[in-house]
Amino acid sequence: MQLNFNDESFRDDYSYKNSPEAIKRFPFPFSEDHYMYSVNIEPHAKGAKGSVYEYTFDVDEHYVSECLDKSVTLEQDPGRYAALPHMMTAQWDFLELAMTAMANDYPEYFTLTKNGNVWTWKNRPLEIIDTFTFGDATTLPYEPFEYMGRQMQGDFVLLDQRDGTLYADAGIVTSQADWSLAFNTGMSWQEWHGPVPKVTELGVLDRALKYLLNLQVANPVRRLNWTMTINPRLDTSPENYPLWAIDRKKVNDETVGDLVNLRVELQTLFRLPRSNAIVFGIRCYLASLKDIATYPRWAKRLHRVQKDLHPDLIEYKGMTTYHRYVIDWLAQFDDGEVLEYGAHPE
Amino acid sequence: MSTINVKVAAVEEVTPLIKHFRLESEDGADLPPFSGGSHIVVTMDAEGRTYRNPYSLMGSPSDTRAYHISVRRQESSRGGSVFMHERVQVGMRLKITHPVNLFSLSKLAHKHILIAGGIGITPFMSQIEDLKAVDADYELHYAFRSYEQAAFVNELEEKCEGKLYCYADSQNERIDLTELLRHQPLGTHVYVCGPSPMVVAVLETARNLGWPENNIHHEEFSAPPVGEPFKVQLARSGIEVEVPAEMSMLEAIEEAGVAADSLCRGGVCGRCELTVLETDGGIQHHDHYLSDSEKVSCRSIMPCVSRTKGKRLVVDL
Amino acid sequence: MERGYWIKSKPIYTSLTWHEKATSHLVLATGIGGMAVLKLFQQMHPTQPVTVLYGKYGQIELDYSDTLKSIIQDDLHLYKFEEDLLKKLQVLLRDATMGLRIYVAGSEGFIWDVVAAAKPFGIQESEIMKEQVDTLARTVYCVHCKTITKYVTTNITCCNGCERMLFVRDHFSRNLGAYMGLMVDAESPGELPAIEEIYP
Repeated sequence: MQLNFNDESFRDDYSYKNSPEAIKRFPFPFSEDHYMYSVNIEPHAKGAKGSVYEYTFDVDEHYVSECLDKSVTLEQDPGRYAALPHMMTAQWDFLELAMTAMANDYPEYFTLTKNGNVWTWKNRPLEIIDTFTFGDATTLPYEPFEYMGRQMQGDFVLLDQRDGTLYADAGIVTSQADWSLAFNTGMSWQEWHGPVPKVTELGVLDRALKYLLNLQVANPVRRLNWTMTINPRLDTSPENYPLWAIDRKKVNDETVGDLVNLRVELQTLFRLPRSNAIVFGIRCYLASLKDIATYPRWAKRLHRVQKDLHPDLIEYKGMTTYHRYVIDWLAQFDDGEVLEYGAHPE
Repeated sequence: MSTINVKVAAVEEVTPLIKHFRLESEDGADLPPFSGGSHIVVTMDAEGRTYRNPYSLMGSPSDTRAYHISVRRQESSRGGSVFMHERVQVGMRLKITHPVNLFSLSKLAHKHILIAGGIGITPFMSQIEDLKAVDADYELHYAFRSYEQAAFVNELEEKCEGKLYCYADSQNERIDLTELLRHQPLGTHVYVCGPSPMVVAVLETARNLGWPENNIHHEEFSAPPVGEPFKVQLARSGIEVEVPAEMSMLEAIEEAGVAADSLCRGGVCGRCELTVLETDGGIQHHDHYLSDSEKVSCRSIMPCVSRTKGKRLVVDL
Repeated sequence: MERGYWIKSKPIYTSLTWHEKATSHLVLATGIGGMAVLKLFQQMHPTQPVTVLYGKYGQIELDYSDTLKSIIQDDLHLYKFEEDLLKKLQVLLRDATMGLRIYVAGSEGFIWDVVAAAKPFGIQESEIMKEQVDTLARTVYCVHCKTITKYVTTNITCCNGCERMLFVRDHFSRNLGAYMGLMVDAESPGELPAIEEIYP
């Protein structure tokens, strides 16, 4: 497989675009006409060819531009990377997991050669070649977690397991849906989910935590989460909220289809072997409402989900200002046809 | 649960009661790395029944050529350890699970006090490797019946470089827990693995001295206790399973061909939890997972170690 | 309060009571927190050694020094400045052993200053008993410029660093000892809701 990497931007002129193939493999998150939080965790098993689940870490046409956007964000605010000192073993665990999986799944782009503890990593799309000693952080230009995190799409958080809970003790976070790594570093599972409405009542958090505490090395899991973002902007951080919040006001009947993006997070969780930590990957996929409407089935489904979304969730996801435009725009596609269960496009 | 096929590469009699097994992957590939304190579950196919026993990995976590486990022969057991002692030989194939760690070291501890009793030394063997790798402050206190019956003392003395303290019951040597735990600097964590009375004594001493719960760690894999036979009805599968006296409920359910989820098989992790729909005699909870109030309510059972006091139990499976 | 739900990261404080199981006790208080200490000493005195550090700084009428001196026969130390009290805390922790129990009474700012000072000694925040007295004033972390603004008593405050107007959320970071402040008029510049004193 050979991808053509897009030359595109996730800020300023927002030249980001999805090819028809990218739209077709978009991880549309709604299998039913109604949405509420649930413990929607499933094994992160190898999925269908061409799907976002085909490989451990999905690399797509946005790879190069996304890594570039990440480096810009990190340069402007180094606080988007943080790692507490006791997470160094987990950092190497992460690097090994990522390099092994990417070299194995995409041999045309990535190569890992091991000579004892001396490893050579080749990343062709980003034109990186480095030889380093596994376990010796001084032999890499960044800490191992940051080094590898910069060469991957999406955000990663390393969770330390202790006291019967999980602590967010390291992270590289540049494409987040409005949460702050600098503020959240060191928080426990319950604390960092503090602002999420409804989940406590539903018992979802406790059950998910119980499940994750027993997560096994060979059995990673995944779930989808979603929100909406104005413009295809990866960095919707609270840090830069003053830059992007104002865009919500630009949504109207004419602009909604282009401006409003469905933002889907493919969240993956892997147990790391040497550190017993967990890596929490949050990979963001963006598709404008117009992209979504390529497939009438998706447009109908999205319309119904949005129409009866709980007000607390609309508020929490920051959609209050423009949500009615979304519903009105999507209504044109919804003929009331009964849709069977499933998130497939056709 | 995904498993790994291994072959037995070496068997060594460490003491008359303890055997040490070296396991290598069947295809000669490296085994997955792990963290100190991890265990695997070994599946043993004996005639007529299957044993699945958890054993701590005691090799160095950085050595991925082989896994090492040690098994103490338990005459009172239901057969797993006897099978390992009598039947398992070099070259034999076994199935093991990936390592799981339910007894991990605290990465924030300023000092680690490790207390082992008898075969409870095994998880500490791998933990010491992790502690040495980061140059952590630790002490290992190892109690056993006699030097003749103690496993790995020489090996540990070499590894621990003066941080090993041995206590032989036969020479009237005892760990003075109060004295040991009273004078530890702030940020110390204590870990205990050994026979139940020892675990209880360490937990109680530490708590009485005001140690916070988060600084106290224990591993107590209860081998499934024997009990009275009973019948368990699986409501969703619509079948009834006989649980003999010397078999755990989980084992009996598995023997009956019903897929039940499980992980540690020692009443620790909670993975095998089943909802109790009916019971005529209450539950004998032997697990360390359910809270006291959950135990009293009798709405859940951990079939890997717990049983009913009555004749019949109905569960949602 | 943010409407509709309770943010779980917001700390919950209690009234001080002695831990029965301990090897020693360390009580820290400032200002009106002296009253919480006096109440603690109304309870059955523990058998283990007790040390009290009290900072009388703040308004003069909130000084409990004299009463504490007459009530407390244990090791009592009085301070004019918080930094001196915290320095003494660090000296004590250096030689302390497991089983030391810590109690704090004071403003939220003081409580989390103590937590931060104790953390390098391996003491977890959850092990420190905390009683919030006196003001409800909040320490606010500006998520945009990372500046900490102390003693915020209003729902909306001006950041000491970037001068943005910040809405004070209930989301609390134990690491920073601060609530999150988020620009309140980012969507509609200049449109400020009414500023009210809600953390007097």
